[in-house]
Amino acid sequence: MNENEPFIGIDLGTTNSVVATVIDGVPRVIASRTGQTLTPSVVAVARNGKRLVGHMAKRQSITNAENTAYAAKRLIGRRWGSPEVEDARKVLPYELVPGPEGNDIRVMLGGRAFSIPEVSALVLAELKADAEAFFGRRVTKAVVTVPAYFNDGQRKATKDAGRIAGLDVVRIINEPTSAALAYGFGKQMEKKVVVFDLGGGTFDVSILDVGKSVYDVIAVGGDTYLGGEDFDRRVIDWLVFSFAQEHQAIDLRQDKMALQRLRDAAERAKIELSEGRQASIHLPFLASAVEGKAALHLDRQLSREKLEDLTQDLVDRTIAVADRTLRDAGVRTSQIGEVLLVGGMTRMPRVQQAVKNYFGREPSRGVHPEEVVALGAAIQAHALLHPQKGKEILLLDVTPQNLGIMVVGGYFATIIPRNTTVPTSQSHMFSTVQDDQTAVRIAVLQGASDKAMENELLGEFVLEGIRPARRGEVEIEVTFDISADGIVGVSARDSATGTRQSITVTATSGLTETEMRRILEENLDEMLTRRQVGDFERLRDRTQAVIAEIESLSPAVKEALSRSRFGKDAVQRAEEVVGRARTAIAAQDLQQMIAVEEQLDRALQLFKGLAGGTVPGEKGS
Amino acid sequence: MATVAELLDQGVKAYTRGDSAEAERLWLQALELDPKNERVRAYLRQVRGERPGQAPATPAAPQRPEPAFAPSPWDAGPAASPTVLVEEGAGLDLGAVAEKSDIRPLVADQRPPSRPPPSGDVALWMEGARELFALGDFSGSLEMIERILRVDATHAEARAYLRQNESTLVAMYESKLGSLGTRPRLAIHPEEVLWLNLDHRAGFLLAQIDGTVSYEDLFALSGLPRLDTARILASLVAEGVIR
Repeated sequence: MNENEPFIGIDLGTTNSVVATVIDGVPRVIASRTGQTLTPSVVAVARNGKRLVGHMAKRQSITNAENTAYAAKRLIGRRWGSPEVEDARKVLPYELVPGPEGNDIRVMLGGRAFSIPEVSALVLAELKADAEAFFGRRVTKAVVTVPAYFNDGQRKATKDAGRIAGLDVVRIINEPTSAALAYGFGKQMEKKVVVFDLGGGTFDVSILDVGKSVYDVIAVGGDTYLGGEDFDRRVIDWLVFSFAQEHQAIDLRQDKMALQRLRDAAERAKIELSEGRQASIHLPFLASAVEGKAALHLDRQLSREKLEDLTQDLVDRTIAVADRTLRDAGVRTSQIGEVLLVGGMTRMPRVQQAVKNYFGREPSRGVHPEEVVALGAAIQAHALLHPQKGKEILLLDVTPQNLGIMVVGGYFATIIPRNTTVPTSQSHMFSTVQDDQTAVRIAVLQGASDKAMENELLGEFVLEGIRPARRGEVEIEVTFDISADGIVGVSARDSATGTRQSITVTATSGLTETEMRRILEENLDEMLTRRQVGDFERLRDRTQAVIAEIESLSPAVKEALSRSRFGKDAVQRAEEVVGRARTAIAAQDLQQMIAVEEQLDRALQLFKGLAGGTVPGEKGS
Repeated sequence: MATVAELLDQGVKAYTRGDSAEAERLWLQALELDPKNERVRAYLRQVRGERPGQAPATPAAPQRPEPAFAPSPWDAGPAASPTVLVEEGAGLDLGAVAEKSDIRPLVADQRPPSRPPPSGDVALWMEGARELFALGDFSGSLEMIERILRVDATHAEARAYLRQNESTLVAMYESKLGSLGTRPRLAIHPEEVLWLNLDHRAGFLLAQIDGTVSYEDLFALSGLPRLDTARILASLVAEGVIR
């Protein structure tokens, strides 16, 4: 690998994503080509067919809701028909359909079905392009973060998204681990750390044991439907109802354009109130009461106190979830050495106060809460790609769910409990249930239910050649091995005969290899089309500029010709060329525009000459 | 002084608005300027409900005698309830009757019954659309075409004119914007925005203009048809609101 090859860390969030790198040993966020540090994780196909990603997609997410995919992270690696997908379908305005195999999910955008990794890939590709603009060269290596509770399928799907975007995802790391890494960078801290991550759409609480360069996630909890957007919605409702009271019950929620502006304004005001005590919400020409008349304005002052009133129950919910997570893990608040705030919503003073009251200590604010996860990922990428002896950072992640096998009666026997640090290896003894049983079926599952059917089947195999004996006499040793990369190996061995069978559970993202190849090929086609569109737009802009220049010279040319017998034919031909160029622009005909480009340039030269006093046919005569 | 063509155009627009009197007045003015103009004469015949060759005014037909009604069978038997005598000068209080009897009148449908316009109207609008297109009034022509397509969505010629008008207008408006890659900015003080006279669609587009989005981006995120977006943006540029 080229030592100077750029690398990036990506926080692929539910609502926003961030890309960062390490430069001269200092982690830093890479701003987008338009100067913003956050890129909304939103993808859309606009009404004119244009693909939009990030801010552009977010700005039309309400007016074009049915063709705008957001919160794809809730769906990535999930199975069609799973409770999480059914919950999402109830609230998402865009259409979800099952994939060709019937077990994964597709999003319908602009009449085309996109797999979820493809949607996430568009966001990753945008971040990659921002990084490439920053470095001025190709970027192919990245560390990407995921929530600690993501299962193998979700992690694999995230890796697939990276591949579609043209990124080699060298490591997937947990978000709380990444945040702790950013805080602990260069520090020597050994304590229990709580990562309180209140993002745009989800809330996660994680408890970590942090040692010298060792980060061990010991418990995770959260609410996947609680985040900054819920706070925004409260402000929107307040604005909508006060507007209805003032203007004869006009319901702004019925007007998509108004609602889009309200959503943007509510978010802005909320952010402003993290610093100031008052925010002005000023939306001129928001809604038309009567067709043909000037539209109505909305003008409101939102105080910090009012915002806190409107959202108090949401803040209380975060504390209740944190309390439950600590109780489940058997950890007392007094044992917590540090509380890290992650996610934009933790900038709200009332949230910070609630965290302080609950944990009995000031939360850490050393790193920007929206950037901290990406910075940690960049630090990890730097450590992986540029290892320094004695300074390795050892990341210990935990299993997000219980892993085990199905036993008699359809029950689930846990072999590796949830929150076990990986890599790990654990064994358990089982016995046969029938006399002279010579084969046993091992179904490998993950989940939280005691009933096997309610958990996710990762794979299965049959161990044959068991010594015939009375039931219960044969001992079968089942061993689970999980590597640092999260790959699960399961083996079963007859202790008496030594007969052994094993399986390696490879997570699937729902995309087959054939589909992946098709998507990668389509991406190439898309790039070519974009380049052609780019060529057309550049030439159209240039042609329009030349036409404008010719038109601005036209009065002077007419004046010059009125004094001469020559040049009238040439001017008429030039005007015809301008006409053809206009037609080509209107028809979006790139070939025709190329055909007239040279003639148009000559026409401009002619007009410049005439306007400057040189009349054709008279020159040198 | 308006020319015949302008009067013709204004008259067509007035007629399209439903102001037949104004249309007739304008076309009469046109006829004064050009008494031999067959088109003006045809329009006048149309607005007066005449047909070619029909006399300008039809004398009123003689009144027919009222028909004699057949006797009602209800009149033959005794009345089921005593006759209510309405006091002279005081009408029957229908409201009170309705309240006591709980009989409510039917509510008329708000929408007028859809009645296909006379084919003559469609022909006139089509003629107007052609005329306005030839005069270079693409907006006026488009207005006519939209009117036709509301009553006959499959009208082939109207659809062809629709495409032509729209692409011409879009190209015209876009040419007023300059390069579509330009990122427009507000050209007035934000406080002055309130003094403008905008509808909510223009308000929405104006709210998106913050110096970070190009005209091409605005077309993508407006959610409006390209023509409407181009028209609003061209108007904002023309009024010096954005640059």
